[in-house]
Amino acid sequence: MTTTSSRGRRRAPTRMSRAAGKAAALQKPRVILALLLLLALTSVMLLDGYLRAEVGGDQRVRTGASAGKVPDKVLDGGPILTFQGGQATTVSVPDKTIALTFDDGPNPTWTPQVLKILQEYDVPGTFFLVGSMVSRYPSIVKDMVDEGNEVGIHTFTHVDLSYQSDARVDREMEQTQLALAGAAGITTTLFRAPYSSETDAIDNYSWPIYEKLGEDGYTSVFVDTDSDDWKKPGVSKIIKWATPEDGKGASVLFHDAGGERSQTIKALPTYIKKMKAAGYTFTTISGVMQEQNAAARQATGTGQQQAASAAGAGAATEGTTGTEGATATEGATGEQPGNVPNGEGGTSGTGVNGGTGQTINRLQAAHREATGVTLYEGKALIAAVTLAEWTVPTLSVGLMVVGVAVMGRFGMMLILARRHYRKRNKRRFSWGPTVTRPVSVIVPAYNEKECIANTLKSLAKSTHPIEIIIVDDGSDDNTSEISREAARDLGMTNVRVIRQENAGKPAALNNGVRSASYDIVVMMDGDTVFEPDAVHQLVQPFADPKVGAVAGNAKVGNRDTIIGAWQHIEYVMGFNLDRRMYDLLRCMPTIPGAIGAFRREAVLEVGGMSEDTLAEDTDITIAMHRGGWQVVYQEHAKAWTEAPGSLKQLWSQRYRWSYGTMQALWKHRKSLTDKGPSGRFGRVGMPLVVLFQIITPVFAPLIDVFTIYSMIFVDFQAALLAWLAVLGVQLGCAAYAFRLDREKYRYLLMMPLQQLAYRQMMYLVLIHSCITALTGGRLRWQKLKRTGEVGTPAGVS
Amino acid sequence: MFVDNSGRRSRLLRRIGLLMGVGCLVYAVVLGAAFMGWGTSLAPSSLLPFGNGGPRGSQNSGPGGAQPQGGIGTPPSRPTGNPPTGVATGEPPSSAPTATASAAAY
Repeated sequence: MTTTSSRGRRRAPTRMSRAAGKAAALQKPRVILALLLLLALTSVMLLDGYLRAEVGGDQRVRTGASAGKVPDKVLDGGPILTFQGGQATTVSVPDKTIALTFDDGPNPTWTPQVLKILQEYDVPGTFFLVGSMVSRYPSIVKDMVDEGNEVGIHTFTHVDLSYQSDARVDREMEQTQLALAGAAGITTTLFRAPYSSETDAIDNYSWPIYEKLGEDGYTSVFVDTDSDDWKKPGVSKIIKWATPEDGKGASVLFHDAGGERSQTIKALPTYIKKMKAAGYTFTTISGVMQEQNAAARQATGTGQQQAASAAGAGAATEGTTGTEGATATEGATGEQPGNVPNGEGGTSGTGVNGGTGQTINRLQAAHREATGVTLYEGKALIAAVTLAEWTVPTLSVGLMVVGVAVMGRFGMMLILARRHYRKRNKRRFSWGPTVTRPVSVIVPAYNEKECIANTLKSLAKSTHPIEIIIVDDGSDDNTSEISREAARDLGMTNVRVIRQENAGKPAALNNGVRSASYDIVVMMDGDTVFEPDAVHQLVQPFADPKVGAVAGNAKVGNRDTIIGAWQHIEYVMGFNLDRRMYDLLRCMPTIPGAIGAFRREAVLEVGGMSEDTLAEDTDITIAMHRGGWQVVYQEHAKAWTEAPGSLKQLWSQRYRWSYGTMQALWKHRKSLTDKGPSGRFGRVGMPLVVLFQIITPVFAPLIDVFTIYSMIFVDFQAALLAWLAVLGVQLGCAAYAFRLDREKYRYLLMMPLQQLAYRQMMYLVLIHSCITALTGGRLRWQKLKRTGEVGTPAGVS
Repeated sequence: MFVDNSGRRSRLLRRIGLLMGVGCLVYAVVLGAAFMGWGTSLAPSSLLPFGNGGPRGSQNSGPGGAQPQGGIGTPPSRPTGNPPTGVATGEPPSSAPTATASAAAY
């Protein structure tokens, strides 16, 4: 019995408890932050879905409803409908006048082209904008307004309002106003209902909406002449259909969005030229209203001067009076337009908006300047949409990376695992002359009183000559005595027990390696049970002098609980697919602490086990690769280990593993630029490990977020099918892994459940350890609780 | 590896985390407010200082407003041609001209 003093690093209980307290305190803000992030992510996705009509979208369009309750004078009236004084009033467009209206925009492709044409011909237009598009393309709207065009509301999501509740109608209007305020600093009083057309198409269901909006102060705008450009009938037909007959005036409908609009773009210049040649003038809806207003004044004898003052005193107040008059004298107005200054020249703004006293173009008299809360809330909305517009594609890319990585990994694993299996199980395959010389088995043990006897018992049955070195790492539960007694009871003479002060597993292993008498050392955990031929199988690859280390096949012994079964599946897949793949790619990142064998000289050459990381097994494996040694997987060397039995234990084990893996990768980051075998690992192994063990799990939550999102909002069935398909692929891979290891398939029944709880826990652990790594907090070895129930290899062939 | 004894990194990260948390919260609140229309009232009538005057003004001109009903007598003939073709079929260009042509008596 030797006692080695450890170097420094003592676990002072006070510091431990202090650290634990700190950890508990940190836990809370961390969780809160995570929840807030989730909230923001949900908001972003809901917003994005709302903008794309996935959330709250409604495709219904009412047709063929009766119009019995709609007043005839509205059905037969002009295209501009107001409700000043609670009375429905329509205004029509004066002769030889065109109010160009464009629906469904803005669109990043077509709207700028339309604007360019309008500017080129010095013609104003009225754009009925869809709020969601406004919020996505605010700069187009700003240009549109700056260039003197008028804008109206075409709802936020282009829904048929006759199917929506009053609250939704209000929201659609207010959201669009906010978007306009944010984009161009204005709100508007003009409105055109989606799927509306001529006034005679108003039905009993849409009429109450116009009434309601009219009472709110909105002017509903309809169509006289529909170009039907959305049908893409060809340029000449668009022009023909858009042309009113007999020199009449018209509110003409075009579309600058909602589909491919190249025909509209082509038709527009020709149309404008044609109409101008026919003596037409172009104006906006406000322009029409003011012309009619002025004309009515003249006709009713109120005098021309008041036309100007009407605009000056406030468009809404006086405009209404005039408007009603205009309808009355429609017949007479026919000849008036010539006298009234028309749209194009009207840059001398005389309109008053919103009572702020600021003048704006009278062609934009429907606009109100947005101020105060409205302006800021609008700007915030635009910013929120912009953020969402960036976030969602970024997340989608992340999701694609994960998807490709996961699927690519499955494909690669299947191919390589199969090749590995075939290669290593060929009858003719051998590593070289059979290794029969004795080897040392090192068992680091810290408080292993429950398990150590079982471990020794299993080693006693070893078919290979061994010496056993138990390194008691300062246990306080009599592990040494128990092991010595067990050895005596079993009649083993090849057991040595070394005691050292508690110094951690790496130190214990180094201690064991130093004391080993043979050139091959097998390392195992104190809670692991070997199969009789495990050592023999494990050391065979050393017949090849290039092999420096061998990974064995660890199996979960306590697999009859749910957690155990999950880990069992994970282990079988990890060992039979991952390790086979890494073996063939010659970049295995980890030799499991439960069962592995090393060439003693190789371990000493790379400086032994290091305390730099919490995953000394990964650290030394990478160091072996870098030292030019081959690391292989020996599937036939099986050991049974006790997996953590509670979620908490599992969490702390995986927390340590993922943190340790990151530490090891970081420690060996220089291998990326190295030459020779080290560089090979750095450029082949590192990226693979980083991709599969860090990036993929970190982005894995996206899979769940997107799946849940599409299940709720997009297409439940399709999303469920996609999820099931992925599950199917995983099941297939798992089944193949089980087949390679001749395991019972019934544990696979736990797999769907594993996808709903275990996987999430695994990525949360990884994110947790990433954060710990970033903050630079300390993380220490924690002893896992053992029951010692993995005594005999259960169900072994 | 990774351990930062000075605690500076942890403090920095905590601050970043705090900022991010506040940012997330603000984002969600702004969106909620914008969606529900909290904070502002945007109907045109509520935006106008003399929005109430408008209707009254027009009511005053009641007699003038009554006229339209009579005056409208001429236009009705024009749209009557439209209803059959209406929106559903979307063919106003072909039918409208004929309808209006016949009605274009004035």
